[in-house]
Amino acid sequence: MIAAGASGDVLLELGVVLLVLAVVGRAAGRIGIPSVPLYLLAGLAMGEGGLVPLNASDDFIRVGADVGVVLLLLLLGLEYNAEELRDGLKGNWKAGVVDFVTGAVPGAVAGLLLGWGATATVVLAGVTYISSSGIIAKLLGDLDRIANRETPVVLSILVIEDLAMAAFLPVLGVLLAGIGLVEGTLTVGAALAAVVIALAVSIRWGAHVSRAVAARTQEVLLLTLLGLTLLVAGLAERLQVSSAVGAFLIGVAISGRVAESGRELLEPLRDVFGGLFFVFFGLQIDPATLPPVLLAAVALGVASTIGKLMTGWWAAGRAGVGPRGRWRAGLSLVARGEFSIVIGGLGVAAGLNADLGSLTAAYVLVMAVVGSLLMRFADDLPLPPFLARRSTR
Amino acid sequence: MEVFETRLPGVGVRYEFHTESGEPIGVVVRRDGVREVALFDADDPDRCKASVSVGPADAAVLVDLLGGSKLTERLADLRQEVEGLAIEWITLPAVGGLAGRTIGDGRIRTDTGASVVAVVRGGTSHPGPGPEFRLEAGDKVLVMGSDDAVELAGARLAG
Repeated sequence: MIAAGASGDVLLELGVVLLVLAVVGRAAGRIGIPSVPLYLLAGLAMGEGGLVPLNASDDFIRVGADVGVVLLLLLLGLEYNAEELRDGLKGNWKAGVVDFVTGAVPGAVAGLLLGWGATATVVLAGVTYISSSGIIAKLLGDLDRIANRETPVVLSILVIEDLAMAAFLPVLGVLLAGIGLVEGTLTVGAALAAVVIALAVSIRWGAHVSRAVAARTQEVLLLTLLGLTLLVAGLAERLQVSSAVGAFLIGVAISGRVAESGRELLEPLRDVFGGLFFVFFGLQIDPATLPPVLLAAVALGVASTIGKLMTGWWAAGRAGVGPRGRWRAGLSLVARGEFSIVIGGLGVAAGLNADLGSLTAAYVLVMAVVGSLLMRFADDLPLPPFLARRSTR
Repeated sequence: MEVFETRLPGVGVRYEFHTESGEPIGVVVRRDGVREVALFDADDPDRCKASVSVGPADAAVLVDLLGGSKLTERLADLRQEVEGLAIEWITLPAVGGLAGRTIGDGRIRTDTGASVVAVVRGGTSHPGPGPEFRLEAGDKVLVMGSDDAVELAGARLAG
């Protein structure tokens, strides 16, 4: 390194990282796959043992990655309003349960088979459970499937998963912090109470919250939203509730026009910091550790894909959708992405298990690509004969 | 005709109904006000085979064309010609207002200065109704006049 100022180094490396993201993002758009797996690959390539390892600026990327998670969850929350969450939960909780069981069991079983500890097993269950709302929602729009009859089912299941994540992250936080049973139960209880209260508040007084945040200029709105979210996220983290959940709840509480313009303002920021987050996750993993876990990742992928297919088939069937639509609903739930990495990243940050990060990375790499391909070609994939037979009866 | 409504979390609301000939038509109303009109595949009735995005201005045109009445369009022209002219549709409530009474009872012209230009009831329009015209709940009444006059008349009609 040339003996320039340290800040010069940070700028230099940050510039390189963002440009690499820009290049791979463009490539992803061209081949028609989501950008998340390519960002991960970029992180792997630039990390220790990668092709072109970065030297310094780890700290900056680490902070950027933290902000990235917060923004990912804030924007997820802004997508929904509290009524949608409540109605989604009310109408589809059974599908949510089926989804949880078929999604989390493969990860949990794999964790046990690999002989990992309880906490790492829980992390892995979370990784395989949660689908990628980002990839799926974008593809539904791109593929012109928003008006399809199975789409409300798919979106409702995603909503329930996101809510489940809001309950799951605090539990995981307590497990990771390794606090005692009593204190842990109290913390989890407090966290879940916070989730419920936040939802109730936003159903009751959502308009007031939105009005308090609303601002005349975009600049002030951006600063208010960002400041408030980081503040709440930081507080939540202090209370071991997980910063991501705090950010999610802020997003849920804000609705209407404020949410609309907030989304517009924050999306570019999320893309930058979210990109850093995926890179940072990749940076922590030595690419040489991927091939040994690849087989496990594929096996896990197959098992959890079958789980999502079952969920989609069953849930869409309940909504009166025909066999092709039920098949499409299942195929649309397979993609994993950003939230699997959010959950896996927590485990990695806590230094749980050396293979946890590698397995999560390999799993998401496979499932983001396979999931989006399955979705894209859903209409060309023939219905498995046994399903076709069952549905004609 | 039954219209099914389903929420699309994070997107908007999806409506669907079957035409008299039995063909399904879907409409997705997105949060930003853009609507999508969708037609479905006969072999796979859950799959949208074609859709058109309709912006708020497009929707007004579409409604006008489908409604078969050029009334709205002519009114828009009229409004451009006479500055300060207010024209408003007022729907009568189920109870209260002038529902069940005649236009003359309401003394609209005398008291407010606004004119009742037409009444649309269940798809048929009654242009230029006289004071003896009896209004019913759900009637759509077209009122014209100055801004204030139309507002007063609206308050009286809708109660």
